[in-house]
Amino acid sequence: MIKQFTYFKPGTLAEALAALQTEGSIALAGGTDLLVELRGGVKSVDLVVDLKGLPKLTELSTTPDNTISIGAGVDLNFLVDHGKIREFCPVLSEAAYSIATYQLRNRATLGGNICNASPAADMAPPLFVLDAVVVAAGPDGERRIPIFKFFTGVKRTSLKRSEIVVRVEIPPVPKAKMAFLKKQRIKGHDLAAINMAGLADSGSGTLRISIGACAVTPIMLKGTDQLYRENRDVEKLAEEVAALAVNSIKPIDDLRATAEYRRDMAAVFAKRLVRKICA
Amino acid sequence: MDAYKENIDITLKVNGIEYRENVPANMTLLHFLKERLMLAGTKEGCSIGECGACTIIMNGRTVTSCLVLAVEADGAEISTIEGEAKDGQLSALQKAFIEYGGIQCGFCTPGMIMSARELLDRNPNPSREEITEAIAGNLCRCTGYEPIIDAIEAVAGNKS
Repeated sequence: MIKQFTYFKPGTLAEALAALQTEGSIALAGGTDLLVELRGGVKSVDLVVDLKGLPKLTELSTTPDNTISIGAGVDLNFLVDHGKIREFCPVLSEAAYSIATYQLRNRATLGGNICNASPAADMAPPLFVLDAVVVAAGPDGERRIPIFKFFTGVKRTSLKRSEIVVRVEIPPVPKAKMAFLKKQRIKGHDLAAINMAGLADSGSGTLRISIGACAVTPIMLKGTDQLYRENRDVEKLAEEVAALAVNSIKPIDDLRATAEYRRDMAAVFAKRLVRKICA
Repeated sequence: MDAYKENIDITLKVNGIEYRENVPANMTLLHFLKERLMLAGTKEGCSIGECGACTIIMNGRTVTSCLVLAVEADGAEISTIEGEAKDGQLSALQKAFIEYGGIQCGFCTPGMIMSARELLDRNPNPSREEITEAIAGNLCRCTGYEPIIDAIEAVAGNKS
């Protein structure tokens, strides 16, 4: 069923990067997207480079300045359950829990979710509001890519041919309120028609809102901080953020929802988020 | 490069028995279990990770074996439905599925029981909601799920 290919499981990053310079090679993490694409003939590859032999990819650590560093190869259930993630970035746990089913979350990885670069990638909006940095490794060493520069189009990222994502860094998070919302037709068996993450820190007057599945890439709303600082009334703020959301997205009609429905839901979700995290 | 292989030697344990096999890189773990080891209990439904019929336990965690390459299971410990019954006796889960009418056509049952087994291993006293979440990735078109949830709940309650 799946076209023949060769397989390599490198034990070091250098070996992995060298292998990925080969024409027709592709990196394998959890395989929950790649195997579906190989089976369907959407993708054809000559060499599969299995990254699960690289130990550092499954580590989660905290630096002395409280940056949380998450290995790209950690699976989604790990993020659902991890105490530190639940305490400091619950929006990541919530988004991970919303994805697919228990069995798939045992395999699907954080790095895979963002590298697959679906406009509906559920881990993207939380990473946007957490101001995450994607760390890519390539032949010339490591490169730090702010999450808002990572996605460049449908299924496209700013990664170069021979680069892989090794970890995602979350800068120190203030004790902010966060939430994740997602609309899908059937829980666990469908991608998001729209997803949205929000983070509000009243101390610094920060409000970040990110929306997925409503443009070619996930987007971050611009100007929310100012709206947050200007509005003492939550309902008024909710209305203004909703209008901003509707004007910032460029949704299309597809099999999951019409553009019109997405615009309506963007307003509904924006209001719901603001009421939840700004009240 | 020599390390890039179309056929790979793997060693793994399935239901406590060790196997050494040479497998093509493009063979899924599901097809390996069914066609190489002749363990036909695990079912192939959608082949794209949506129906859960091929659910098995790999290193203590459920996975859809249609989305795992056989070569990725090198060094793994695997449990399938064939490992449930011991000495000709059905397991408590299998008995409960029969008693509560959790089986009709039977196609989802092997995967469903593997999901239930893994749930009870990590959470011996799950709530009904936790049972529902654990089997959300296992589609059943016959039972309406309630008898299945009843069966798992009954075993959880009786577990000593």
